[in-house]
Amino acid sequence: MKQLRSYSKTAGIHGALLAVIIVSSVPFYWAAQTSIKFTRDTIRRKPTLWGFDVTADPYRKFWFVDEEQNMWAVGLFFLALGAVIAAILFIRKRCETTWPLTLAVLGSLWVALNLFPKTFDMNREFDYFVNSIFVTVLTVIISISIGMLAGYGLARYSGLSGAVILIVALGFRALPRTAFVLPYFYVAKELGILDSRLVIVLALVAVNQPFTIWMLRSFFMEVPREIEEAAMIDGATRLQAFRMVVVPMMWPGIIATSLFTLLLAYNEFLFVRVLAVTNWTLPVAISALAGGDTATTVTEGAAAAVSITLPIVIMIIIFQKHLVKGLGAGAVKG
Amino acid sequence: MATLMVFPLVTTIVLSFNRIFLRDLSHREWIGFANYTDVLSDPDFWDAVQLTTLFVVTVVPIHLALGFGIASLLDRVVRGRKMYMALLLLPFIVTPVVGTLMVRDLFDRGGLLAWLWEVLTDDPFVITSGNVKWILIIHGIWSTTPFAVIALFAGMQTLPGERLEAAEIDGAGFWAKQRFVTIPHLRSLIIFVLLISIMDSYRAFDSAFVFGQSVGKSAHTVMVYNFDVALRGQFGRIGKGSAIAVITIIGIFVVLIPFLRKSYKEQIAER
Repeated sequence: MKQLRSYSKTAGIHGALLAVIIVSSVPFYWAAQTSIKFTRDTIRRKPTLWGFDVTADPYRKFWFVDEEQNMWAVGLFFLALGAVIAAILFIRKRCETTWPLTLAVLGSLWVALNLFPKTFDMNREFDYFVNSIFVTVLTVIISISIGMLAGYGLARYSGLSGAVILIVALGFRALPRTAFVLPYFYVAKELGILDSRLVIVLALVAVNQPFTIWMLRSFFMEVPREIEEAAMIDGATRLQAFRMVVVPMMWPGIIATSLFTLLLAYNEFLFVRVLAVTNWTLPVAISALAGGDTATTVTEGAAAAVSITLPIVIMIIIFQKHLVKGLGAGAVKG
Repeated sequence: MATLMVFPLVTTIVLSFNRIFLRDLSHREWIGFANYTDVLSDPDFWDAVQLTTLFVVTVVPIHLALGFGIASLLDRVVRGRKMYMALLLLPFIVTPVVGTLMVRDLFDRGGLLAWLWEVLTDDPFVITSGNVKWILIIHGIWSTTPFAVIALFAGMQTLPGERLEAAEIDGAGFWAKQRFVTIPHLRSLIIFVLLISIMDSYRAFDSAFVFGQSVGKSAHTVMVYNFDVALRGQFGRIGKGSAIAVITIIGIFVVLIPFLRKSYKEQIAER
C-alpha cells in the first residue's frame, strides 16, 4: 500500500514536470511548425494544427537568392558535413592525443562555412550569420584569455576577497547597457570605425569581463595550490605549471565560462544594433524582418528563428552538463 | 581593462551635460543640468518608469516562486532529470529577440493562444497598447525562470538529506519543511538570484524593443525609451540619452545597495 502511494507520488511529480516543460516549449513547437507552412495556412484565424501541406519555402526565402532552391542539395551538403565530423569523432574516441582531431572538427566546420556560399547562391542573411560566428568566436577567445590570466592572478596572489570582486562584477552587470553603448557609439563614430566587427567584439568583451574573471577565479580556487607547487618543485616554471597542470584541471570551468560568453555574444542585440550599420549579426537581421508585419514574414520569421536557434540548441545538447554545472557553481558559491 | 569599463561611464556623464545631436556629433555645447530637467519633465519617461516598475515587481516574485517550485520537483526525481533540465533551459538560452518573436507569434493572428482566446471568449485577440505589457511580462517570466530553477536546484543539492528527515521525524509536513529547513538553507542563494533577476528585468531591452516595433511607445521600458531618445532616426539626442542613462544608473544602485551590502556581508561572514 505504501509502495503504491509512493509510485503515484512519483508519477505525479513527473506529470507536473512534463506539464511545465510542455508549457515552456510551446513557443518553440509553434515556431517550428509555422516555419514549414505555406503562408495561406498561417493567416487564418483558426490555425491548422495538423494535416497542413509542408514546405521549405520560408527557409528558401530567408537564406537563398533562388526561391526555387533545391533543398535536397542543401540537405546533402549537411549530410556530408555530418558524416565527416562523425568520422573524425569516431577516430578521436580511439586515439590517445585528442587535440589534433578536435582541431580537425573545427577545421572541417570552417571549410564548410567557406564552401557553403560558393556552392549555393546565398542571401545577405548568410553574411550576417558569418558575422555572428566571427563576433562570437572572437569574443569568447579574447575574454577567456584575459579572464584566465586575471582570474588566476586574483585567485593566487591578490588579497582581495572574492566578495569584493563579486560585488564589482555584479555592480557592472547591473549597469544598463545604454550607459556603455552611447559612449562606444560616440567614440566609434568620431574615429570613423563604426560598423567594424572589432568594435562590437571590444564592447562585448568589456561588458562581460568582470563576470568572466569572477567565474574563472572561483574555478581556479578549486585547484589546490599544492599541485602547482609539486610541479614547480619538479622543475617546472610557473608558466609551465599553469599551462601543463592547472589548465588541464580547469577544462570544465573554462567550458562553462565559454558557454556563457558564447551565449552573450551570439544573442547580443543592442550593441550590434547601435554599433553596426550594415555589418549586422543575425538577431538584428531577424528583428528588422519582424518589423514588417506582412503575412509572408510570419513564416519567414519563424524559419529564421528556427535557423538561429538550432546551432545553440546543438551546443547545449553537447555541453548541457557543463552549463548546468556552471550555473549551479556560480550561483551556489555566489 | 579598466579603461574599457570606466572610460565609457565617464564619457556618459560628461555627455549628459552637453547638448549634442546624432546628426552632428562634433558640435557640442555645455548646458549644465538642462538635459536632466528635460528628462524628468518628460511624461514618456515616467510612463517608461511605470512600465519598468510593473515589469520588475511582477516578473521577479513570480519567476522566483515558479523557479523554487520547479526546482523542488526536479530535486525529487532521479530518472529523466537530465532531459528535463535540457528542455527547461531552452527559453533561457534562446536569443531574446527570437524568443520574443516566438511568443509574439502565439498571440498574433493565427497564433495558438490568440485562437484559444477566441474559442474561450468569442472575441478575436489583437495585441494592443493596452495588453502588450502583460505579454511582455509573460515573456519575461518564461525566459527568466530557467535560471532560477537551475540555481535553486543546485542549492538544494547541497542540503543534507538528514536535516529533512529529522524535520520529518519531528512531524513537519511539506510546507513546514520548506519553511523551516529548505528556505533558510537557501537564503543567501535566494538573495543572489533575486539580485540577478532584479538587475536583468530592470534593464529588459530586447523584448520591449521588438514589441515596440509593432505597438510603439506603450511597450517602452526605460531602456527602450533611452534608446529611442538617443539613437532613433536623425533626431537622436545623445546628450539627453546620456542623462537618462545616468539617471537609470543612480536608480538601479539605490534599489540594489541594500542587496549588495547584504550579499557582501554574508560573503565576509562565510569566510
